Amino acid sequence: MDMTQDYKRVVDAILAEFGRESHQAIPVLQAIQQNYNYLPQEAMDYLCAQSEITPAQLYGISTFYSQFRHNPVGKHIIKVCVGTACHVKGAMQVYDGFKRELQIEGAADTDGLFTVDKIACLGCCTIAPVVQIDDITYGHVSTQKIPEILEDFLTIQSQPKKAFIANEKVNRKKQGEVRIGLGSCCVASGSAEVKTELERTLDTNKIEVDVKHVGCVGICNQVPLLEIHKPGKEVALYTKIRPDEVSTVIKKHFKPRAWTDRFKAQLYGTFEDLVFKSVPLTTRRYNPEHRDTPVSDFLDQQIAIATEFRGVLSPLDLEEYKQLGGFAAFNKCVSEQKPKNIINQIKQSGLKGRGGGGFPAAIKWEILYEAQSDVKYIICNGDEGDPGAFMDRMLLESYPFRIIEGLLIAGYAVGATEGIFYIRAEYPLAVSRIREAIAICRKAGYIGKNILGSGFDLEVDVFEGAGAFVCGEETALIASIEGKRGMPSMRPPYPAEKGLWGKPTLINNTETLACVPWIVRKGAAAFEDIGTKNSKGTKVFALAGKISRGGLIEVPMGMSIRQIVEDIGGGIPDGKSFKAVQIGGPSGGCIPASMVDLPIDFDSLDEVGAMMGSGGLVVMDDSDCMVDIARYFLSFTEDQSCGKCTFCRVGTRQMLEILNRICRGEGRMKDLDVLEELAETTKSGSLCGLGKTAPNPVLSTLQYFREEYIEHINGCCPTGKCQELIQYHILDTCIGCTICAQRCPTQAIAMAPYEQHMVQDADCVKCDVCRQVCPVDAVIVKPYD
Amino acid sequence: MISLTIDHKKVDVPEGTTVLQAARKLGVEIPTMCYLEGYENRASCLLCMVKDNGNGKLSPSCALPASNGMDIVTQDAEVYKSRKQALELLLSDHVGDCEAPCRMGCPAFINIPKVNRLITEGNFIEAYKLVQDELAMPLVLGHICEAPCEKVCRREEIDTTVSICQLIKFVAKEEAKNPAALLPEKENTKTQTIAIVGSGPAGLTAAFHLLEKGYSVTIIDKNNEAGGSLRTEKRSKILPQEVLKAEIKRLETFGANFQLNKHISSQQITTELKQSYDAVLLASGAEGAQILEELKEPSETLKSFINPLNLETKISGVFIAGSLYKQQKMAVKAVAQGKEVALAIHRYLQGLSPEKMKRMFNSRFGKLNDAEKAEYMKEAATYNQLQAASGSLLGYQAEEAIKEAARCMHCDCRKVDNCKLRIYADEYQADRRHFLFRERKSLVKFDEHEEVIYEPEKCIRCSLCVEISGQDPASPGLTEVGRGFNVQIDVPFQNSIKHAIKQEAEACVRACPTAALSFKEAERNKEFS
Repeated sequence: MDMTQDYKRVVDAILAEFGRESHQAIPVLQAIQQNYNYLPQEAMDYLCAQSEITPAQLYGISTFYSQFRHNPVGKHIIKVCVGTACHVKGAMQVYDGFKRELQIEGAADTDGLFTVDKIACLGCCTIAPVVQIDDITYGHVSTQKIPEILEDFLTIQSQPKKAFIANEKVNRKKQGEVRIGLGSCCVASGSAEVKTELERTLDTNKIEVDVKHVGCVGICNQVPLLEIHKPGKEVALYTKIRPDEVSTVIKKHFKPRAWTDRFKAQLYGTFEDLVFKSVPLTTRRYNPEHRDTPVSDFLDQQIAIATEFRGVLSPLDLEEYKQLGGFAAFNKCVSEQKPKNIINQIKQSGLKGRGGGGFPAAIKWEILYEAQSDVKYIICNGDEGDPGAFMDRMLLESYPFRIIEGLLIAGYAVGATEGIFYIRAEYPLAVSRIREAIAICRKAGYIGKNILGSGFDLEVDVFEGAGAFVCGEETALIASIEGKRGMPSMRPPYPAEKGLWGKPTLINNTETLACVPWIVRKGAAAFEDIGTKNSKGTKVFALAGKISRGGLIEVPMGMSIRQIVEDIGGGIPDGKSFKAVQIGGPSGGCIPASMVDLPIDFDSLDEVGAMMGSGGLVVMDDSDCMVDIARYFLSFTEDQSCGKCTFCRVGTRQMLEILNRICRGEGRMKDLDVLEELAETTKSGSLCGLGKTAPNPVLSTLQYFREEYIEHINGCCPTGKCQELIQYHILDTCIGCTICAQRCPTQAIAMAPYEQHMVQDADCVKCDVCRQVCPVDAVIVKPYD
Repeated sequence: MISLTIDHKKVDVPEGTTVLQAARKLGVEIPTMCYLEGYENRASCLLCMVKDNGNGKLSPSCALPASNGMDIVTQDAEVYKSRKQALELLLSDHVGDCEAPCRMGCPAFINIPKVNRLITEGNFIEAYKLVQDELAMPLVLGHICEAPCEKVCRREEIDTTVSICQLIKFVAKEEAKNPAALLPEKENTKTQTIAIVGSGPAGLTAAFHLLEKGYSVTIIDKNNEAGGSLRTEKRSKILPQEVLKAEIKRLETFGANFQLNKHISSQQITTELKQSYDAVLLASGAEGAQILEELKEPSETLKSFINPLNLETKISGVFIAGSLYKQQKMAVKAVAQGKEVALAIHRYLQGLSPEKMKRMFNSRFGKLNDAEKAEYMKEAATYNQLQAASGSLLGYQAEEAIKEAARCMHCDCRKVDNCKLRIYADEYQADRRHFLFRERKSLVKFDEHEEVIYEPEKCIRCSLCVEISGQDPASPGLTEVGRGFNVQIDVPFQNSIKHAIKQEAEACVRACPTAALSFKEAERNKEFS
């Protein structure tokens, strides 16, 4: 079939599914791109001819959202995550490294095999830096590993897919239960392979156990996890497990039915210590029942509300969710509570919006409740775009029923007629889990007409965001659902008064909705008891960066930074010292180590120039450059600004220019004053939250780390992070092994066997490979003389 | 009805009114660029910031709904600063010259690109009038001017400068062919009289502009012929004496009295002249410096004797100009000063406070890069400078002048008079370099459209043209492309602008607050403001 015919067929089919209205533009384009990996011009022309979508609208949208491409890409897409956690661990060097290795100048390499893309955040912050090639994720990537990764990827590609078909299930007595985490972090770290291997092992050995897929446990730095539950035995938890270790572990706990395997298992048992000692780093075994273990430290200080039953709940098992109290709150609402009562409970609980601003949830609900309208919308905001934050993703993936229940309760309380889950497309697992969960709920009578016989109707749908951070802002989110560029508009009018399609619209963050069933079930007072004066309940944080135990944590409001970093996170690894914690991502600020006892809540963060944001918490050590961090966040907001209002569009850019200049050592003292002026101007003048908060990373670092700015102006980056201000140098401890010279991509190091090597600075691209590969640590980074 | 106060004035407006509309109802002026009545409030330029005293917040008034009890301030230091900063941010990303470099380089501020356009059209008389608006003696200067304008002419970056001076001479000679001198219309006749001592370029020029203002002017010179340094000074270019005489004759025709062979002492200035005339201008050239020594107190320095703001001396009503004030190497500078002092004398006679002559805000972006040279050449004839067939002294014939003027690249902005960005930048005294930290973008001119030219680097992203062009379903229109700082208004799928806007083209140009979209024909842009 020729391509023209193919485009027509594909576009016709997509239009038949989505309709021809102009507001369907985003899902329609997503579907077309799904087909071709880009948006072929011929298909676009045909689409405009066949639908209400105009060329102006289409091109405006397709160039606004990062997801869309107008040009074909390489066969495989290498996505280098440049989220905060990855950034502080060298993501840009990795990105440059891939481009260099593949000799890519433009979009794709010469063979059209690979395209290298930066991606805002894959949400796998705990195994940073992360690179995703097609659907295979590599964690802990460094520049020196790039050739290895490409080779590994191509090897996997060249092998036929190993199809594993499980044998027919026979109902026998189960020996126990194996739980495996299938959150995105887990999958990124190889839990899918572990799962395949697990099923294979169980099948070939005829071991009868239940395999249960649970949501994110939160111990994301230790994934993949395997938890073994046996009646009458302690729970055994295996962390960082590799596929090739699965069979050993399983056979250690369960007796195979085939006698030969049983024999082998005994043999393995004998050599257990030997086996584990040889892989000490990857297969540390923890017992969660034991005190004083890293895992218990990690979990014990947390309170699970939004993440209740973590590691227990199977994400899509409705029966289990109900057994554990799920939908009890909603049932109570529709059977015995008046909407006004529910709103009062939420008001009494003190629940504030978890999306960043901390606006009291009940006030929004009340406005909506009072609004007179035939149609009212409720939207769950899952457009989590902060680099370094993955709370919403984890909640949507692991507790889809809880979020749906929260949405239903809110919808019932305010009289909503239609519900929408707005989830960013970068979270495919979250999207599919929610879709499946909605289908299950619809079947069970929780969604649709006359829910549970109460007369309450609510239809719920999913809208996939197309890659624009600014769409987390309510008015921009609404614009994108309406098929427009995601440009915020002035508030008031607030969406609660005039929102989607001009109708009253309640927009709540995912985590906010996740707290709702708990509050209704346990009572407002129980929630109010937790937290601080003005910040009630718990907050979910994504703890990442330079921390021993990163992951997803839920802690009571008011917990100090010290408790989080030291007690839960296990402090700073590699003998480094704690320098600062960045809270709130691009809207937040850097809080210095000197304020480590600051209790974290909405007000305290505001006072010190940070912000709760959506809850990214990136820990930095003494090797992190604070000017670079400010520049990093600003380059993010500058890129993500919708480009509408002057202060944000131009203000963020000119601030970034000043920071670039300072990082190049070309700054002047006067620049700091202008930078501060611009930051204040952008903050007070910008139209929406993105611009109003974008200067925070700059202002907070200027406030707490001004001397570091001055050092840069004087030509020195004290941490050696700013490439233009550092040089690589080889000490006389060099043994002349030539490895650095062999691996140097630009021949900046001449081969000199058995002699001290030298780096020619003029040729050096500062990729860091020499330092990584040197067997005697003779390569150092130092400021220019 | 909603009741609110704006700048302490109470106003009642119906529900759904914005603060901007309420302010306009009150007659309170708030600057806007992206706002156009009848179109969507986009609140993008943020120039219309006002402060709500209730919460201390700044908001764009165009999108701020008026609500009961609001107390709005439209003018205070904070609001002023915010507007100024918005302008400075826009200017930091604005690539374009308001006035062409040649005009900025001309001490007399002649609108050279427009003169060139008129010459190209063969409209020599209008061209002459335009020159004369700024320059009292086009024929003389056309012969001897040092032509600093040609030194900054952008065409020099391509091949050779446009022969601006020769073109001025050409239009002046064309005028001279007329039996009657083409003189400007005078303002209402005024009763005051002015004596000008010295008839060099400064004195003659001042006389011309004062006559134009309606005063009666007497020029006194110690020599038996007028002209001062123009008669005697050695110059690189030849000034035929009949040219000077013709120009002086024109001035006489315009109404100047000449008293020649009359030496004026310092005593006479303070007595005779001061008594008989309402104002006196001393423009007797460098050699008359002795007079100043006699006029001032011995303890006084020359600097303290003369007010640099309006060139008035300590002796009220006595002004100074030309080389007597400061040695003028270029005749055109003396001419420029003659005009400046004429206006100062006018202000003095009208009882207005002294004021330094101030040029309007001007954006300029420096040298052209290679890509920009090609963009600029889109509007110019490609051949090199034309030498006059009859030699440089006689200058161009009409066809030659038309050909040479066609080499002009028209570096001036097409909306130089009605660009809102320029008008407000001037009003708010914005500093174009205040927030400039990056290399400028490269200027592009899309000229494929029949009537309209699009210069994206002048765009402030107000998107009015997107909305307006979208109203015509028959053409693809314009759209915002990209995100963040790199947002650009463009044609869908990067097609040519040629067919993108049709019947809405004029409305787009009219709505565009800058010259991002303008009519190709520069004069057409003046039809509105």
